[in-house]
Amino acid sequence: MPLIPPSAPGAAQKDWRPRLLWASGALLLSFLLLVGRLYHLQILRGEEFRGRAEENFVKEIRTPADRGLFFDRNRKLLVDSRPSYDVTLTPYFCGRGCDEVLDRVAALVQMGPDEVDRARAQLRAARKLEVFRPFTVKVDIGREELDRFLANQTDLPGADVLPVPHRNYRYGSLGGHLLGYMNEVGPDELKDLNKGLSQSASPQGPYLLGDYVGRRGLERRFENELRGVDGKERVPVDAKGRLKADADSLIPEDQRLVPSVPGDNVILSLDWRLQEYAEKIFPATAGVVVAMDARTGFLLALVDRPAPDPNKMSGRITAAELAAIHSDPLQPELFRAIQQHYHPGSTFKALTTIAALEEGVFHPETSIFCPGHFSMGRATWRCDKESGHGWVDFEHALGASCDVFFYEAGAKLGADAIAKWARRCGLGAPTGFDVAGEIPGVIPDAAWHDAHIPGGYQRGMAVNLAIGQGDVNVTPMQQLVFYAALATGTIWRPQVVTRIEDPDGKVLQTFEPEARGRLEIGKSTREVVMKGLLAAVNQPFGTAYGSRVKEFTVAGKTGTAQVVKIGVHRVKSENLPYFERDHAWFAAFAPAEDPEIVVVVLNEHSGFGSSNAAPTAVGLIKKYMELKAQDEAEHAGAPVAPAPAAAPAKAGPAGGAGGA
Amino acid sequence: MAPDVSLAATPHRRLIAHFPWHVGFLVLTISALGVWNLASASRSAHAPVWISQSWWMGAGILVALGVALIDHRAFQRMAWVFYAVVLALLVLVHLKGRYVMGARRWLTFGPLNLQPSELAKIAVVLALAAFFAEDAERRREGYGLFGLIIPLGVTLLPAALILKQPDLGTALIVVAVGCTQLLFAKVRWVTLLILLVGALVGGAIAFRHLKDYQRNRIASFLNPEADAKGAGYHAQQSIIAIGSGQGTGKGWGQGTQTYLSFLPEQHTDFIFSVWAEEHGFLGCVLLLLLYFALLASAVDIAGAARDRFGHFVAIGVTSMLFWHVFINVGMVIGLLPVVGVTLPLMSYGGSSVVAIYAGMGLLANVGMRRFVN
Repeated sequence: MPLIPPSAPGAAQKDWRPRLLWASGALLLSFLLLVGRLYHLQILRGEEFRGRAEENFVKEIRTPADRGLFFDRNRKLLVDSRPSYDVTLTPYFCGRGCDEVLDRVAALVQMGPDEVDRARAQLRAARKLEVFRPFTVKVDIGREELDRFLANQTDLPGADVLPVPHRNYRYGSLGGHLLGYMNEVGPDELKDLNKGLSQSASPQGPYLLGDYVGRRGLERRFENELRGVDGKERVPVDAKGRLKADADSLIPEDQRLVPSVPGDNVILSLDWRLQEYAEKIFPATAGVVVAMDARTGFLLALVDRPAPDPNKMSGRITAAELAAIHSDPLQPELFRAIQQHYHPGSTFKALTTIAALEEGVFHPETSIFCPGHFSMGRATWRCDKESGHGWVDFEHALGASCDVFFYEAGAKLGADAIAKWARRCGLGAPTGFDVAGEIPGVIPDAAWHDAHIPGGYQRGMAVNLAIGQGDVNVTPMQQLVFYAALATGTIWRPQVVTRIEDPDGKVLQTFEPEARGRLEIGKSTREVVMKGLLAAVNQPFGTAYGSRVKEFTVAGKTGTAQVVKIGVHRVKSENLPYFERDHAWFAAFAPAEDPEIVVVVLNEHSGFGSSNAAPTAVGLIKKYMELKAQDEAEHAGAPVAPAPAAAPAKAGPAGGAGGA
Repeated sequence: MAPDVSLAATPHRRLIAHFPWHVGFLVLTISALGVWNLASASRSAHAPVWISQSWWMGAGILVALGVALIDHRAFQRMAWVFYAVVLALLVLVHLKGRYVMGARRWLTFGPLNLQPSELAKIAVVLALAAFFAEDAERRREGYGLFGLIIPLGVTLLPAALILKQPDLGTALIVVAVGCTQLLFAKVRWVTLLILLVGALVGGAIAFRHLKDYQRNRIASFLNPEADAKGAGYHAQQSIIAIGSGQGTGKGWGQGTQTYLSFLPEQHTDFIFSVWAEEHGFLGCVLLLLLYFALLASAVDIAGAARDRFGHFVAIGVTSMLFWHVFINVGMVIGLLPVVGVTLPLMSYGGSSVVAIYAGMGLLANVGMRRFVN
């Protein structure tokens, strides 16, 4: 017998039936609800979720494109990328020990306190999935530091070295301003750059924080060409963003890799042999040497001192080093050739000559007696030669650089006439050079003086202008263009890039010589100027007679730009404090009969043009001639000469260049 | 007729003849699919959990057979003792339980890890069945408010202890199972209405006392897109996994969401997402059909039960199975908020497997005695 009496079955079962029917109905409905929802998710929206699942696990790793290279005209490699190593730290893997690991890394690879602080701040800021993302704590460590790091890596959880190509400026600061440098893109800049990219339909992907971008010089000017198109590697990652190499099969093989396209190469018109030679012979602490092919407007050499090393500027320069550069009174960040202007000094006398003759205030045969000083009203101006030059004509006045002759001309011309001719010769406006940030210089007319000088324009101001003092200012590049115009009659837009080539050497873009205008002066005017410039170098009375050469004829003009007003007593410039010494100019071209090369030298705070600028210019011209002869000997029989030199100049030398 | 059916020592030939083989077949089929699915879900883990799951299934089968063979009237006698023991264990969990991820749900006896809350479901089913077996008969006109005090107390006491662990999912299951049994004991309409209102008010008050993570889950259920990386992450990733399975799925072992760990707790609460991702709509419908068949059989057994106790046991076990399946699948496919409820026979977990098998044993027990008197 059962211990518990069974309950009566029949009646009870009848009682259950309606409730069981209800329950069955509810059961069916519940399952239909589930199936309905599944139908919605898997059938109706299945495609959408398939895509989102893929987004989840397919990570696109950027494979940065190799940046384009810089070559000189002879295909000498100037800038490339070298393999280098960055140290990274992944917060997740060092966990609570991150601070300690960072300290150890800092000691091993010699990080400055500011670098450590920066890394520490990034460590603190890492949130959520960011803790799985490695961030860079030190860029570009040296070979020795790499060895030290690798030897200690077991004690450095989370720290890693990543091979990252780094921009390599093979010649350091040589040509540094021109080539420019790269550094990290800023957050605001990022937005602008990417906006531009999205509008340009370029295949290049957007910039990301941490990317490097051409900051100065040609690196900046040709950023789009040099950058290339980044590739993509599609890899499977898990939910924490970690690479799952064994899950490769989840991504179809043909979708795993999109190769990067290297950037285009930039071919410069510079002849690096000339560049290096100029660097060697230029004695200046600060200054510019710039040489141009007179027939095309393409630069042959450009020395600009001082220049920071772009390798340094492109790495993570320390705050202290950057501060030192910023506070350096020599302003190493200034690209003097186009971003600084100077009084042209006596080199401006060529311009005054043109104005005087074209305006008819002087004739080619005009002679003036120089007693060593010039008076107008109550004011007196001293000549460079205190004892005076005696009777001088244009040839003598230009050659010996007599001030009084041009004081006279200036007084007769007035500021407006001088300014008019200066502008016609291409001064007072940017030359249109390839690198951004060019300043226009100052060509002051009467209105300018009225606006800028207390008391307004006085006639005496034109007297100063006539010898390139007063308020006239030109950049070395403008000076170069002006003297090239004197040599050939064409006012060039100075250029330094001749071609853009793709990585296989296919020419994508060729830059042709570009004339901004012609020097509209009479033949006789030109002859007078030429004669004066020849005299300066080739006549015993010439200021640059010491720099004459036998093999070919150099025409040129020295200049000394006063920085501080000459006091009662002349002081030898060696005895002046550096920043009060005069700037030395020399502008020249050769051969005078059929000019090929124009050179402008500006030696800051060095004293006289004849002794501190002319030897460099003439030395460079000599080197140019030597190299030309050498190349011709090598290429004897070879039909094609280097491209830019062979490019047809639109304008030949103007008129019959007057011989001495 | 038979003098002694309360002991398993002499299995009755008629009992075996009436064993609900179709229930056994369905349970074993789902279990096999569960192991197969776990083998895929644990590809990325170091320990292949499907092996230990298989051992637990084996143990579960033994438990189920044991339970099936003992006359359920013996359980009726023991129901309250069992209930008291489980309550004691639940209290013990609060005192000596092992902390796992902020919750105290486990008791350790030597090599054995026990989850008393899994036992609590069975205990409540048995206790209520024992209560209603005698009491319901006396209340033919249905339960009023006062009559429900005891059965509600029996349900809510362990539920409250489980909620404090905290284990919202299991507590909910206990309450849902208890309430389902209660409904089958016939409750007056007015009383039902009062209870419903009371539950709503109680729910509102309870919501204010929920743990932050629990409240976040509910909030993110209501608006999953708002916080796709935070609390809504699990729900969102689960839906992506399911949807991406499309019609026929990505194939066994090909689920990217599964393999690359986008599904958290993919072996346990989110196991259905694994299945849905790899076997698609067709696979899901097949699995749900199996569950439906099992539940329909269970309802059938409840309807054919010979006595009240058996009936209420069958109802309790059926509702336990139903609520597990419905809440789990519902939460995984985004119809319900995320609460920790496993999918019977598919989710990994020893206590859960054994508890479900014990429940199935009870069902078989009732089913095979439907003609016995």
